[in-house]
Amino acid sequence: MKKTILLLLILCFSFSSCEKDDICDGSTVTTPRLVITFYDFNNSAVEKNATNLTIIADGMENPVSFNGSTLINGSTVSIPLKANVDTTTFRFILNFGSTNQASLPNEDVIQFNYSRDNTFVSRACGFKTNYTLNAIDPFVHTDAAVPDSKWMRYVAVKNYIIANENETHLEIFY
Amino acid sequence: MKHILKYFISSCLFLSLFFANAQDIKTPVVTKDSTTTSIVAKKAVVATQPKVDPKTDSIIAPIKTNRYGVRVGIDLYKLSRSIYDKDYKGLELVGDYRLDKRRYFAVELGNENKTTDDTRLNFTTKGSYIKAGFDYNGYENWLDMENIISIGLRYGFSTFNQELNSYKIYNSNPYFGEVPPIAEGQKYNGLTASWIEVVAGMKAKVFNNVFLGFSLRFNRLITNKQPVNFENLYIPGFNRTYNGDFGVGFNYTVTYFVPIFKKKVLPKETKTAKKK
Repeated sequence: MKKTILLLLILCFSFSSCEKDDICDGSTVTTPRLVITFYDFNNSAVEKNATNLTIIADGMENPVSFNGSTLINGSTVSIPLKANVDTTTFRFILNFGSTNQASLPNEDVIQFNYSRDNTFVSRACGFKTNYTLNAIDPFVHTDAAVPDSKWMRYVAVKNYIIANENETHLEIFY
Repeated sequence: MKHILKYFISSCLFLSLFFANAQDIKTPVVTKDSTTTSIVAKKAVVATQPKVDPKTDSIIAPIKTNRYGVRVGIDLYKLSRSIYDKDYKGLELVGDYRLDKRRYFAVELGNENKTTDDTRLNFTTKGSYIKAGFDYNGYENWLDMENIISIGLRYGFSTFNQELNSYKIYNSNPYFGEVPPIAEGQKYNGLTASWIEVVAGMKAKVFNNVFLGFSLRFNRLITNKQPVNFENLYIPGFNRTYNGDFGVGFNYTVTYFVPIFKKKVLPKETKTAKKK
């Protein structure tokens, strides 16, 4: 009988493998952002760095911040989509704040149309939203309210399903 | 979570204390047994030799009798929580039947209706459960005391449904601000789970046939039928689930013992009882 008790004791201690689960871990894949990659229009295989690109959502005052900065100078940027409606409109302003005559600020507007799918993650994280860009009209590309000709020459969807940030969803050639 | 971990570790330590105690007590018990057997032997001698002073007879300790029967009761914790916690309604009936000197067949039957309000989720779990298994009493009682310090095993089974009342969407880039909680009202029916429970408990006789008991339980899930796009975060009888398949529980019971028959504790008799 002693052996049985010992066995039960061991079994009881084997239960101590409990983990913390009430804080949403940063490495958990939650609501993804839309990943945009910029390419050179003249050489579409080469990524091209944006210059002082600022992205502001319609109705928002502050620009989207990416890697701690609101001025984007890299070739990729991730922007969040609204999780409570099926469209989000952004103003893409290249050469933001520039007074140089050779590279004046230029604004383009893209409206993204998508469907949403809320997926359970965990107790601590709750749910996340995955997006799927509409097959027919995934985005609408227009010039700014004050026409200054479009700086984006060509925009293409690479991945319609936005479920993680490891892949490019939208390609912009300029 | 920190509290539960603390609670768990301290309870494990607390329980390990009991084992040490149980073994400590055992040594004097063995000697006691030998004295009773010697008394029995003497008694036999007395029968054949009537000349021996009858005073030795009067020294014989009263023969221990073990009462056998059914113990039924209720979990006071679930009952009281149903009164003060508006998000909880639960009832648990407990019962056991004494099989032999140390072993008991034990059953718990319950029903729970609990609304869990987490920071990101709000859901209601409703369902019933049954747990059945054995308790082993490691405590050697003196005279006619009937206290129990036991360790046991249970198999638990629960059938329940969950209703997701509302949830929040986690967004690590809250540029648009956090989305307000989304009311859902989605119901997930026909869920089941089964698990194994290790029970450490004690029961003390307070008066007549009334016992007060406390038990701590460590659970491990065996099967768990999960809903689509949600999880069984609470299972009636099992309680809250953690990452993995681990759970804890306890109950605080008041039980009434219904004696059915008695058995005298004599070395020979216990042997025959074991044969049965």
